[in-house]
Amino acid sequence: MPKNQFINPNQVRKSGWIKFNDIPVNQYQKTIEEEKENYSKEDFLRIYHHMAIIREFETMIDLVKKTGQYNGVEYNHPGPAHLSIGQEASAVGQAYLLDEDDFIFGSHRSHGEVLAKGLSVIHKMDNERLLKIMEEFFDGTVLRIVEENNKNSKDVKELAIDFLIYGTLAEIFARETGFNKGLGGSMHVFFTPFGIYPNNAIVGGSADIAMGSALYKKVNQKDGIVIANIGDASMGCGPVWEAMNMAAMDQFKLLWDESHRGGLPIIFNFFNNQYGMGGQTSGETMGYGILARVGAGINSEQMHAERVDGFNPLAVIDAIRRKKEVLENNQGPVLLDTLTYRFSGHSPSDASSYRTKEEVEAWMEHDPLEVFKKDLIEAGVASQEEFDHIWENTKDLIFRNFKISIDENISPYMDLKKNPNIISDLMFSNERIEKMEDREPDVLIPKEENPRVQQIKRKVRTAYKDGKPVPKTRVLQLRDAIFEALLDKFYTDPTLVAYGEENRDWGGAFAVYRGLTESLPYHRLFNAPISEAAIVGSAVGYGLSGGRAVVELMYCDFLGRAGDEVFNQLSKWQAMSAGILKMPVVLRVSVGSKYGAQHSQDWTSLCAHIPGLKVVFPATPYDAKGLMNSALMGTDPVVFFESQRLYDIGEMFNSEGVPEGYYEVPIGEPDIKRQGSDITILTIGATLYRALEAADILEKEYGLSAEVIDARTLVPFNYEKVLESVKKTGRILLASDACERGSYLNDVARNISELAFDYLDAPPVVLGAKNWITPAFELEEYFFPQPDWFIDIIHERILPLKGHVVKNNFTKNEQIRCNRLGV
Amino acid sequence: MATPVIMPRQGLSVESCIITKWHKQKGDRVEPGDVLFTYETDKATFEEEAQHSGILLEIFFEEGDDVPVLTNVCVIGEEGDDVSQYSPHKTEDVKDDETVEEPLQSGSQAEVEEESDTPTIVPQEQDNEKGIIKISPRARNLAKRAGVNIEHAIPTGPEGRIIERDIIDLMEKGKVFTPAAMDQYKPGFSDLPAVGTGLGGRVTTYDLEMAPKEERATVDSAEEKVKADISSDFEEVKLTNIRKVIARTMHQSLANTAQLTLNSSFDATDILNFRAKLKGKGQSLGLDIITINDIILYAVSRTLLNHKELNAHFLEDSMRLYNTVNLGVAVDTPRGLMVPTIINAEKKSLLEISKEVKELASACQSGTINPDLLTNGTFTVTNLGVLGVESFTPVLNPPQTGILGVGSIVHRIREVHGEIENYPAMGLSLTFDHRAIDGAPAARFLKELAENLENFSLLLAK
Repeated sequence: MPKNQFINPNQVRKSGWIKFNDIPVNQYQKTIEEEKENYSKEDFLRIYHHMAIIREFETMIDLVKKTGQYNGVEYNHPGPAHLSIGQEASAVGQAYLLDEDDFIFGSHRSHGEVLAKGLSVIHKMDNERLLKIMEEFFDGTVLRIVEENNKNSKDVKELAIDFLIYGTLAEIFARETGFNKGLGGSMHVFFTPFGIYPNNAIVGGSADIAMGSALYKKVNQKDGIVIANIGDASMGCGPVWEAMNMAAMDQFKLLWDESHRGGLPIIFNFFNNQYGMGGQTSGETMGYGILARVGAGINSEQMHAERVDGFNPLAVIDAIRRKKEVLENNQGPVLLDTLTYRFSGHSPSDASSYRTKEEVEAWMEHDPLEVFKKDLIEAGVASQEEFDHIWENTKDLIFRNFKISIDENISPYMDLKKNPNIISDLMFSNERIEKMEDREPDVLIPKEENPRVQQIKRKVRTAYKDGKPVPKTRVLQLRDAIFEALLDKFYTDPTLVAYGEENRDWGGAFAVYRGLTESLPYHRLFNAPISEAAIVGSAVGYGLSGGRAVVELMYCDFLGRAGDEVFNQLSKWQAMSAGILKMPVVLRVSVGSKYGAQHSQDWTSLCAHIPGLKVVFPATPYDAKGLMNSALMGTDPVVFFESQRLYDIGEMFNSEGVPEGYYEVPIGEPDIKRQGSDITILTIGATLYRALEAADILEKEYGLSAEVIDARTLVPFNYEKVLESVKKTGRILLASDACERGSYLNDVARNISELAFDYLDAPPVVLGAKNWITPAFELEEYFFPQPDWFIDIIHERILPLKGHVVKNNFTKNEQIRCNRLGV
Repeated sequence: MATPVIMPRQGLSVESCIITKWHKQKGDRVEPGDVLFTYETDKATFEEEAQHSGILLEIFFEEGDDVPVLTNVCVIGEEGDDVSQYSPHKTEDVKDDETVEEPLQSGSQAEVEEESDTPTIVPQEQDNEKGIIKISPRARNLAKRAGVNIEHAIPTGPEGRIIERDIIDLMEKGKVFTPAAMDQYKPGFSDLPAVGTGLGGRVTTYDLEMAPKEERATVDSAEEKVKADISSDFEEVKLTNIRKVIARTMHQSLANTAQLTLNSSFDATDILNFRAKLKGKGQSLGLDIITINDIILYAVSRTLLNHKELNAHFLEDSMRLYNTVNLGVAVDTPRGLMVPTIINAEKKSLLEISKEVKELASACQSGTINPDLLTNGTFTVTNLGVLGVESFTPVLNPPQTGILGVGSIVHRIREVHGEIENYPAMGLSLTFDHRAIDGAPAARFLKELAENLENFSLLLAK
């Protein structure tokens, strides 16, 4: 909502027409003869050679899957194999002009794109650099295997081709010597030194990640373009639309500073093989007719969309040449509908029951490997013998690398027996990197001149002063504490960006960012569309490309909209890359209240369940700033929960208040907020304050001394303090505002039962919100744990309190009844 | 953080230990390795060293107190640390005149038996399907440490579960009582048995009577005061652990066996001559340490294996006849009678036996005897002859079947070839368990032993 853009009713209410430009469909019509001036003989043959390599590579995998052998050598590959036999021309054509600075992101069917991009980069890169990359990759492990086993490779480039084929194949076969130590596999293989970025097994998953990578290039002014290779069927996925829409935001061209103005350098390339598994996109599951039409719906440039004939490598090269130019002129994004067809099934188990033999055969007559060869021979570029020679070389290349990649002595699996922690050590990178890049951050004013900084200066940094509570207006609030941590980082790490809904002028829905706008140019702080998937997905792309991002979803309840991005992407890529990628991304979500069923949920447990995410939920200003500092210093994805009940709270526990300078609260360490000896109460988030009220009641009315511990972090979690407390008190109540069923606290309770069993005087008891919808604010006291609930459940399940009369039903019968009913 | 020091458990059978001396006082600074206090079991004396450095903040027991093992004895920490949580004296708050509290009623389930008006404490009915006692792990552990019987705890936890406070309550208030015992009960009977002799382990009036008198002396009761005034000229001495053990074992011995004593004597001329030689020429060989008692022990060790019923343990349904002689030797110590054992005495030379007896005796005197050497005897020899006792009735040390008492040497006369001659006669008194062996075989052992002693030189030559 930039104020400088006046929405003029007179103008927007005027009648008129939306006019569309024509969208080109297969307009490339040049002959080989005509192209001779653009391509040398060597170029033509290299294009063919690369297509042949992909064809043979895929044929080999197809044979292994279907017949258990290749050239008579038996092998069983139980993992996935989504082949693209038939699509080679589209992959090679796309890669022809790309170099290492151009990033491609792919899908589950991307072996061909990986090989094509790798081969193209190897061709362009100088030998010295090639060798250096290979020598440095996993300390030269892959290079040494290739060198020792392929002695006939004559030069560095040939060696690099072996390196590419072997690293990809070993990865597909889950070997520790693969490009991602076997942790990515067929659907995820990638090799960043050649600009080959993660392929994604979630349909359309690469769209928003690639868009984030393009954002990284734009914000940090890096060379190269980004291509999201996704399938035609992904046009049915919301996040793909979100990504295209966000890439096309007007602000890039209208609001961003001159230095950063213009569209994102991204091509959304749809390898349109016309089927989504078995669903025929055009004619059955979509309504676009021709996929390229969609570009017209996104922006006035129609995303420069066109359909290109993916069976002709030269047509694809021509398209990429023109689209690269568009991107280099800051006119992105681009939509390409690269028409192709796969002769192979979706996977080896595909019986092709959804298409006729006649259809497949008709397409095979257009097989680019035959047609392109025929055209080249007819145009006198090369003879049949030369092609025979290419095939001979290619088959030998694939066969020799096949043999070493299935040899367990040369290409072992990860030895989890010997090193049981290999994978667990990869779940988090746990690094401390102050800035992701060493240069001056782009800021608008010196930090001290920031109006919010000046305002905070006048505030009292503790909740109490001289024994009296400091008024809300004068106290340093939790939102100020988070602001301080963020502002600090914006002045330290030049790559740091923050975006989300209402992040800029509004200052965030809860005023955490108020004042940031004054300090930061648009390209470091901007409003995103209401596209939770694209917000998180782009942060994933931004992070794995080398930047640091803080993105915000406003309400925790909106996490569902970014489900795949949080649960499959943000959490997984560090481990799936075998530690090659880092994910310095903080995802801020806010737990609401007062706003009913879809705006008041504590979903910490959902996040804690997913391996690979750090999950924190501070409840005090001191902890909020300290934890945010830790999150921003680290290289791991942190889901940072905040509570709307607490944004205005002052620091009550740390007697020194919230330090003005930098400090960290370690992620994973709970904190004792009140000492006690008779019962331990562990809380998550805002529930802390109700637990403290309950502790007061326990003390005054029942003479019980409660020790209250604030978990602060859910993942990771150090049990030491809690166990020590439970050993002392013998009793523990665990409470949070999350619905009780499936609450993370049940995990904590189970662990305590196991770890401190002999010390327990009662089973650990979990107190959560009801397993209902959150009712209106006026009824919330019946839904969220209240202080008297604490007393009642302690009385009923842990320690009967003399003379206590319960108000709430925590009996076993009620517990059984509710579970029977699923409420 | 303050750290409590517990009374260690020196062996599985040890229930309590007596603090004999405090080497540090409350308020002293201690370092690891400093001796805090000395304590004794019924068998030996030990020193407890500090494990932590700090200030001895609190001492819960005085010298002479009998402290159950694993109980907090004192607390080491720093100034200002709270020590109250470690206090084992939970009864301190209980006023002397306070009557036993009603059990805490939990909901409608608490039902007090109506048969009697007395405040009988009855365990709350547990919802115990299949006889399972519901008890929290923490409460169970505490009960085990404190040595209280969980069956007597009154559950006040949810669903009739025994929780920690119920065990603490049990420790404070004592056990479950019969109505009559309840009448007589006053707070202060802290040394009642964990399980009473009444039905279902209820503490009975008998149990109260049997409770140690000195405990009752602390009871603040007008009646008791009167009694005390009448005969106040005495000194109450707490029994040492060793005295308690002796009392118990001696009483059990007489109560549970069929023991009787045979008296006899033998001509000690040969052994006296032999002893004279050891004193004289044997001196240079270091043999002068051998005493008459050593000679007797040697003779016993060589005679016993011919009479295995006396080198045996009587085990009610069976007898364990030993093929080696583990000879118990009664030793008088300042703390009382102790009986260390010479293991495999039948294989040891006279000199070896002599040396070993002296070492064992010395260890007993100083209280440093290895507890293992105070058990496993197969036969015992006790000697009161040095104190002028001519003959006596030794008390069996069950499950052993025999004990030999050695008397003093007196001059007797006898007729030899019509002439009266005087000879040194030494008394032997054999107590045996008639359940294990009859009179005649026991007498035959005594006879052979006498012969061996009268011809000791020949025995040595064997």
